Amino acid sequence: MTQPAGMIAEFADAEEMLAALRAARKAGWRRLDAYAPYPVPEAAELLAVRGWPVAAITVAAGLAGAVLQYGTQYYLNVVDYPINVGGRPLHAWPVFLPATYIVAVLWAAIAALVGMLVLNRLPRLHHPVFAAPGFDRASEDRFFLCLFVDEPGFDAAHAEHLLRGFDALRISPVPAA
Amino acid sequence: MSGADMPRAAEEREVADTAPVARIPLQRFGATYWIALSASAAGVVLLGVTVATLLRFGTGVWGTNVPHVWGFDLINYVWWIGIANAASLLAVVLVLRRHGLRTAVNRFAEAAALAAVVAAGLYPILHLGRPWLFFWVFPYPATYQVWPQFRSTLIWDFWGITAHVLVTGLFWYIGLIPDLATMRDRAARQGRLVVARLYGVFALGWRGSVCHWSRHQAAYRLVAALLLPLLLAAQTVVALEFATTLVPDWHQARLPLHVVVTGLPSGLGLVLALAAMLRRTLGLHAFIDAGDMDLLSRLTAAASLASLWIYAEGLLFGLVLEDAVAREAMLVRVTGTYAAYYWAGLLLTAILPQLLWSRRIGLSTATAVPLGLCAAAGAWFDRYSIVVAGIERTNLPVARPLYVPSDAEWMLLLGTGGLFVLLLLLFARLVPVVSMYETRHEEAESEAA
Amino acid sequence: MSGSHPGRREILRLSAASLALAAAGCDEPTEFGQPLYAPPRGEVQDAATYATVLDLQGLGRGMLVRTRAGHAVKVDGNALHPASLGATDVFAEAAVLSLHDPARARRLREGGWTRAPAALDATLAAARAELAARNGAGLHVVTGPIASPTTARLLATLLAAWPGARWQQYDPLAEDAALAGAELAFGTPVATWPDLARAQVVLALGADPLGPGPAQLHLARNWALARAEGRGRGVLPSLIVAEASPTLSGAKADRHILLHPREIEPFGRAVAAALGVPGLQGAASHPEAEAVAAALRRAGPAAVMLAGRAEAPGLHALAHAVNAALGSEVVHHAAPALARPAPMGPAALRPLVQAMANGAATHVLLLGVNPVYDVPAELGFAPALARVPFSLHAGLYPDETARLCTWQVPLSHELESWGDSRAFDGTAAIRQPATRPLVGAARTVDELLAALLGAEERALPLVQATWREAWGAAFEEGWRAALEAGVIPGSAAPRLHLPLRPGWDPGPARQSQAGLVAVFTPDPCTLDGRFAENAWLQELPRPLTKIAWGNAVLLAPSTAAEYGMSAGDEVVIERAGRRVLAPVWPVPWHAPGCITLPLGGGRIASTEVGLGRGLDAQILRDPDTPWTGEHVTMAPTGRHARVIASQLERDFDGPAAARIVAPGEGFAPPAPAPSLYPDWKYEGHAWGMAIDLDTCIGCNACVVACQSENNIPVVGPEQMAMGRRMHWLRVDIYRHGVSAIFQPVPCMHCEKAPCEVVCPVNATVHDHEGLNVMVYPRCIGTRTCSNNCPYKVRRFNWYDYARDETPVKVRNPDVPIRPRGVMEKCTYCQHRIAAARSEARMEDRPIRDGEVETACQRACPTRAIVFGDVNDPDTAVARAKRAERNYALLGELDTRPRTTYLARVQAGR
Repeated sequence: MTQPAGMIAEFADAEEMLAALRAARKAGWRRLDAYAPYPVPEAAELLAVRGWPVAAITVAAGLAGAVLQYGTQYYLNVVDYPINVGGRPLHAWPVFLPATYIVAVLWAAIAALVGMLVLNRLPRLHHPVFAAPGFDRASEDRFFLCLFVDEPGFDAAHAEHLLRGFDALRISPVPAA
Repeated sequence: MSGADMPRAAEEREVADTAPVARIPLQRFGATYWIALSASAAGVVLLGVTVATLLRFGTGVWGTNVPHVWGFDLINYVWWIGIANAASLLAVVLVLRRHGLRTAVNRFAEAAALAAVVAAGLYPILHLGRPWLFFWVFPYPATYQVWPQFRSTLIWDFWGITAHVLVTGLFWYIGLIPDLATMRDRAARQGRLVVARLYGVFALGWRGSVCHWSRHQAAYRLVAALLLPLLLAAQTVVALEFATTLVPDWHQARLPLHVVVTGLPSGLGLVLALAAMLRRTLGLHAFIDAGDMDLLSRLTAAASLASLWIYAEGLLFGLVLEDAVAREAMLVRVTGTYAAYYWAGLLLTAILPQLLWSRRIGLSTATAVPLGLCAAAGAWFDRYSIVVAGIERTNLPVARPLYVPSDAEWMLLLGTGGLFVLLLLLFARLVPVVSMYETRHEEAESEAA
Repeated sequence: MSGSHPGRREILRLSAASLALAAAGCDEPTEFGQPLYAPPRGEVQDAATYATVLDLQGLGRGMLVRTRAGHAVKVDGNALHPASLGATDVFAEAAVLSLHDPARARRLREGGWTRAPAALDATLAAARAELAARNGAGLHVVTGPIASPTTARLLATLLAAWPGARWQQYDPLAEDAALAGAELAFGTPVATWPDLARAQVVLALGADPLGPGPAQLHLARNWALARAEGRGRGVLPSLIVAEASPTLSGAKADRHILLHPREIEPFGRAVAAALGVPGLQGAASHPEAEAVAAALRRAGPAAVMLAGRAEAPGLHALAHAVNAALGSEVVHHAAPALARPAPMGPAALRPLVQAMANGAATHVLLLGVNPVYDVPAELGFAPALARVPFSLHAGLYPDETARLCTWQVPLSHELESWGDSRAFDGTAAIRQPATRPLVGAARTVDELLAALLGAEERALPLVQATWREAWGAAFEEGWRAALEAGVIPGSAAPRLHLPLRPGWDPGPARQSQAGLVAVFTPDPCTLDGRFAENAWLQELPRPLTKIAWGNAVLLAPSTAAEYGMSAGDEVVIERAGRRVLAPVWPVPWHAPGCITLPLGGGRIASTEVGLGRGLDAQILRDPDTPWTGEHVTMAPTGRHARVIASQLERDFDGPAAARIVAPGEGFAPPAPAPSLYPDWKYEGHAWGMAIDLDTCIGCNACVVACQSENNIPVVGPEQMAMGRRMHWLRVDIYRHGVSAIFQPVPCMHCEKAPCEVVCPVNATVHDHEGLNVMVYPRCIGTRTCSNNCPYKVRRFNWYDYARDETPVKVRNPDVPIRPRGVMEKCTYCQHRIAAARSEARMEDRPIRDGEVETACQRACPTRAIVFGDVNDPDTAVARAKRAERNYALLGELDTRPRTTYLARVQAGR
């Protein structure tokens, strides 16, 4: 039998999963992940994941979009193809603002999705945990904690031992990909 | 590793059961659905025929002229945008306030917004004299190395409508990703692998990692927060296409506010009508409960009250406080050839929906659906009054040929209506109509609380 | 889709001009280009201008015809000709369209069968033999009024050879009463016209000196000159018009007296009585007569009284008597230009109808007339004509008369044939073709007469023979000079000073005192229906009613109210047992208690353009009093009929747009409006226009000139009714009291153009000289610009008008045609500016003031439009804009229009 990618425990309850997660963190597990059918912010906190990098990407993209849009309008109207439109000055700043604003929002919104996906390393259609028995219910009503054993000093037995200490519905190995 | 294959049974259900929702897309649909789908598909065929006629013969097939250069093209455009806007606005506010109603209403409010914005998006293209050159408004040097004219409100609107479609779509899609994963897993469990793969591709490999959830929620709420000002901007930009012109009745600072506010009952009314219909036809009483319906009814009534205020303000300013030409233009609008449209708009958006304050009326499908649709229709009359009657008094008091919509224009309206319904029916068929993870989350939170 | 970088196009245009020099002698292109978007490149189009003369009611107006590659493109006025003075009227402008009309009669036919030219010659030879045997008895030649020396010579030859033959002139618009009036006053036919340049007080009794007619351009120009001079002095000349049915003169009157048709003669007699005119037989009184008489008396030799075509001969004689009593020096008498001044109205056809009916007339030639349509039905012309064994009709179109004649001969258009003509004052001019004949089988009246006489000659030798006779040895020189100048100098009839006959007054005309009176008037665009086939004229809104593509019964709003009718309600009009159905159209300038029936509608055999188009008033005319119909009844049918009008009656009140000032008054320059933006500076030329509302007579010549110059498509009645007219220049009309103000509205070329900022694709932008230009290839047709144009001067191609139009090959190759879905508008004749610019550059000099003339400006008979560089203070336009009565239309919007208006001046404000 080959070494599994990790051990996964199935819980009926977010609290149980959280308890196991806390213990695993305390035990020094670094390669671990928890799965839930809805957001569980405490678990993300335990895994030291925050939402703010997504926000940072969003804001930065919005600013970049705004600068680019205004800059484009300025460049095209003043430098590239100056043309008298309705006797307005070439750099008619008030009328450049609405598009700048809208494009900034557009960039920010797209960056929010893209940033979220990139930080989440998504899309990734295949992942070892999908092969874990009963994992399809992670998207419905079950909570999972997976301890990955690809680090030296942490093996499957160790993991199973740790998970056994909690009220898991099932503990199974995650087949290596 | 022993005992790993058979899970120990859970004693009680810890997570809200969303299976009835997930089951809808995967079950067989009845005759009613197929009749509705055929009818709306016929509407889309009609749209195709109308568009083909338009492309073959030209904009002359409409009843437009000078000065009435715009007819149904702009009326319908502004109307659909208003619906999209109000529906999105509702979804956004609910998400940002983490309101309980969001679980029930959000998903199809977003879907209705998306379908409406797609229907709206056709008009700016079709209304052109040379629609096949619509891409010349895209930011690239189309002819003679000349870029679009960035000072034009129509270019603002190009950005507005593009951003509106994209961001509304993003908002809807980001919220949908975890539910698509649920669908994927359910389909796989039923052994429907092709369906599972399709859902799987769109679920982007979502596996419910709590880390992913954290960033997903951040992104979802960020997009919601971004959508809020964008909606106001998009609708305002549409209104600015009118307000920045020199047409006396349009050249008013209050016009954008009027368009935004009177758009609200139309979108909310439509969402209310949809909720009532979905509840009844798909048996979702548990997910869209009486409390939700009551809240939605009262929201529509409140939006209608705001419209009443904006109408009153319009009459006060337009007939009393403005300069003489604008006063005359407003007087012509409310008493002239097209006065009926103004008063129909006022009645249907601002007065009739007030009945929805009554819990009994709001909860009954038989009353909520017609009242919701009336509010939506009222906004159409209001747009008609703005676009057509607003130009009855131009700056020069010379010949004003009247505008009478042609058959081609009515067909266009019907056609986009068909498209809207078709998109909604496909939405009901293909994706969960209620946000499942939000429902689970909300249940979990309320239990914790 | 063709298109190139603007810079490159400029270079191509310049090189095209220089290529023109090198290409002299190359083959002419045979096919006429229809350029889309841009002038054709790499090909030189031969441009030439010919001086010629176009007739109206037999009297010539000298014109210059611009041709390109052998095609007549545009008609301009000939400044040397007294009946043009450089200006055009709508009929002259529209002539190129008729010339190119594919629906023109094209084949020689006998009873419907196409015949070869030789067959006609053989038939005419047979007729000649038959007629010669009986000295011409049985031959009746009917022509329009003839002033042409050559036609007159041929007719004289014919009548001399065949004393039994008869020649009758016929014109449905004939002013027989004026002729009879001159006979009463002087015992001889006299042509009379006022010298409006010097007249200080003009009293027009139903007369319309500024309205359409062969002397319109001359009279209008002189009226405008006097007015300009009067404005300078601060004392305006006074035009007093007393009339029932509104005319252009009435609209421009300084004093407009609305009189029922029955009141006009008494009013004239009251004025004459107040003036103490000797020989007056029956006096009358009128409250305003004393004041009018006083004005006339004050002006004395600078006063003149005119009587209109509808008035009785006695009133015409009275006008002569009043002028004599005033010692008027501004009334001009001369021998008539017409070869045979004789009655030529419908009643004059009675002997012919009788001869046709009783079989005496065996050969009837109807040359350039359409009596089957326009002779009043009660004369019975059509049934009589049907009995004639040999009848020949020559006409431009297969009309009602052609259908009843045994032979149908296509008539040559004036622009493709040789001939000669005399103007209203007798000035002769040679007509030369500006294009090769477009209808091979067509003949001129002269050629037909020559063929009948057995001289098988073409028109050119016939005309030359006339003038060789007149000039003798000096022929060659005179001929060339006449062709170049378009006028034969010194040929005007000398001024006559005639003594008044003592018994000039036949006494008041007998008038019935009861019943509704109908006034018949020529339609301002189709006259008596002779221009009904011309789509430009049909689509042209009539000056005072703004009705296009048809006509209506005109009446005063109060009369309409009496009958309980509003605009568009249908009535049945009946006179002498004949009835027509027509909608009514109230006009504020109409006298109450009577109705106006415009002629020229209801054609039953015409082209698609001319067929129908309103009521046929000819049916109701009384041959003996063709301009006034007594005992008319009018009854509403309760139905509503469509009237296509570009401006509705209810809009007529709006003096804010068209302003009025008292003499010497003006407007303060508007305070600059606050703006976030600095002004744009224009170096070099800055084109601008000033339109003088005081001199604009609303004649519409500018509108048709613009249409002709700029390839403006005709949209047809349906589109017109939907409000989709394409005219780049429209003439709005506003009411002020009983007078009207005409306001031509082209593109204003605003410096702060609202249309430009809203265009998403830079399809309308400013050029460096301040023109608001439309870039058709870039336009995608959002129509936002039209929405934001407060003047509503932008026109949209809802359909592919330019190419769907009947394939008329009249196109100005300098101006691109516009495809479906794009916006278009007045360009200030940008192509003319470009041409002048290249010419100036080639000659290394600046563009001179007046070198660029827009088409509307060139056409204007009163020079109401001036155009030029507003940056140069010495230009005419800059001077006009410095005038105190200069104002910007909707100036409060601060669009800074380059087109501004000079307010109408009215005394007593």
